Amino acid sequence: MTGRLLLWGGIGFFLVIIGLPFWWVVTGSIKDPAEIIARDPTMFPQSFTLQHYAKLLAASAYPTYLVNSLIVAVSTAVLTVLLAVPAAYAFFRMELPFREGMYRAILLAYAFPGIIVLIPIYGFFAQLGLIDSLVALVIVNTTFALPFSIWMMRSFLGTIPQDIEEAARMDGAPTPVILRRILVPLLLPGIAAVAVFAFISSWTEYIFASILILSDAQRTIPVGFAGIIGQYQIDWGLLLAGATLAILPVVIIFALIGRTFVAGMTDGAVK
Amino acid sequence: MSDLVLQGVTKRFGATTAVQGVDLDIAAGEMVVFVGPSGCGKSTLLRMIAGLDPVTEGRILIGGRDVTAAEPVDRGLAMVFQSYALYPHMTVAQNMAFPLEMQGLGRAEISARVRETARTLQLEPLLDRKPRALSGGQRQRVAIGRAIVRQPVGFLFDEPLSNLDAELRVQMRQEVARLHRTLGATMVYVTHDQVEAMTLADRIVVLRAGRVEQVGAPLELYENPANAFVAGFIGSPRMNLIPATVRDGAVTLPGLVLPRPGLPAGGTPVQVGLRPEHMVASGPAIAATCEAVERLGAVSYLYARLADGTQVTAQVDAALAVTSPGAAVTLTPDPARALVFAADGARLV
Repeated sequence: MTGRLLLWGGIGFFLVIIGLPFWWVVTGSIKDPAEIIARDPTMFPQSFTLQHYAKLLAASAYPTYLVNSLIVAVSTAVLTVLLAVPAAYAFFRMELPFREGMYRAILLAYAFPGIIVLIPIYGFFAQLGLIDSLVALVIVNTTFALPFSIWMMRSFLGTIPQDIEEAARMDGAPTPVILRRILVPLLLPGIAAVAVFAFISSWTEYIFASILILSDAQRTIPVGFAGIIGQYQIDWGLLLAGATLAILPVVIIFALIGRTFVAGMTDGAVK
Repeated sequence: MSDLVLQGVTKRFGATTAVQGVDLDIAAGEMVVFVGPSGCGKSTLLRMIAGLDPVTEGRILIGGRDVTAAEPVDRGLAMVFQSYALYPHMTVAQNMAFPLEMQGLGRAEISARVRETARTLQLEPLLDRKPRALSGGQRQRVAIGRAIVRQPVGFLFDEPLSNLDAELRVQMRQEVARLHRTLGATMVYVTHDQVEAMTLADRIVVLRAGRVEQVGAPLELYENPANAFVAGFIGSPRMNLIPATVRDGAVTLPGLVLPRPGLPAGGTPVQVGLRPEHMVASGPAIAATCEAVERLGAVSYLYARLADGTQVTAQVDAALAVTSPGAAVTLTPDPARALVFAADGARLV
């Protein structure tokens, strides 16, 4: 009984720690400016207004940033999945020379902070003519998301019994067909996890977006949003509305993809 | 149906040799069972025949064609895995249709063949279910169905029944036997269960440490094992192996003298092999101490220890079956049925 109480107490504690800032941001975005900066902060909004949202969407380039961010994040997620699945398969199931060495080298690349390669990457994209292009951001974000994604995918692949793949080989399926028809459907929870990871890391990426993008029309939310805040003075209502809208796609994605995180996909395959 | 020939098939993993120079001719339509303790190389040998593991040395021929380097699909064999290896995201029908799709057959033909196979295996009511909604026996039947539907030149079974409970195992064993009769297909079956081997095989291949110990019909192996290993492995309860010595051209053990031609020189240590059911004939008796009695209804087994510490098993009648542990018993082996092995296990007489 005490154990249960402690458990729920702990869950409640962390729920408050994690949930409170979100509550603050979301409720703040619909408060009157006066209430937001009131000397005694209100936990529950005493006023209701959509003026911050109206201002954000009408008077700033926020919608453009939102669209740019979505394009970059979705493309990054798709590209990462498309590359991580076959790469993990190659690293985990195929007989390749120096397989383990290559795999380690890729993981090692993940250990370095991205900022170390900022200048060479800038030069590289400059030569390719990709400065101020969303394509550059997709490439960079995919590059940084891939090592961890491959590692994640590899452990998901490890949960699929090798017998299933061998049965498919006996049935006459070539490797691409095994990947597409057998492994991908069984890897869906892993693919969803990788996609969410790539989406979020792209969604929140700041440094490269601030360096590689020059024009306002190509900015993503983190960089563009920083501009909105600093432009005149700190407009708290605008800030909170923008933050709320920035969280929204992530929440939607989790709500949609959460369904594929179903345990027991391989139930009944073996044994 | 094709014949299957193995010529000097060897498999090495680094420094370890898993399978050593196996030569075997399997006739078209024959059911051959590979049997042996775990780690004897039987599954590795089967996987090499399937094409899932490359052969280190030697050749594999199917229907006269050298398939040593061929891809699994080009060998025309179907395999049933111990774990069933069904595709969990596909229905029973889709599982069975998959190999046919890979062959590029038309939709109508695939559907017809899946139905036909499902009918033979009584899987029709299950066609729309996913594997997780099936019992162990049903899953195994689907796995067999997926193998049959391709109409392969031969079947490979890798311990297909070892995940089933005892009752289902007997039932599925009979089903496999029936399948072999009706299809008349070449089948290679791997098991560590010697009862499965005895009941299913046309011929049994006994393997130990990657080598073939003996190849022969089930009863031939039972009656006439080539060495002490085969003698001990085939038959349940195991054959008794009692240490003895050669003296004056006869094998001598306490209470039993076996004059046999062709024995080694006097003083050589040997082993006498006696099946439990050959322990109660009339004649000179061996003294032993009863350790346990198992009454199985139709037969009873008496487990006893000889004066030298050797444990023996005897199939006994009702009178002896009432013996309690610790009691002194006399076992009277049938000298005519005794086999003689050298100390290293080689068959002498």
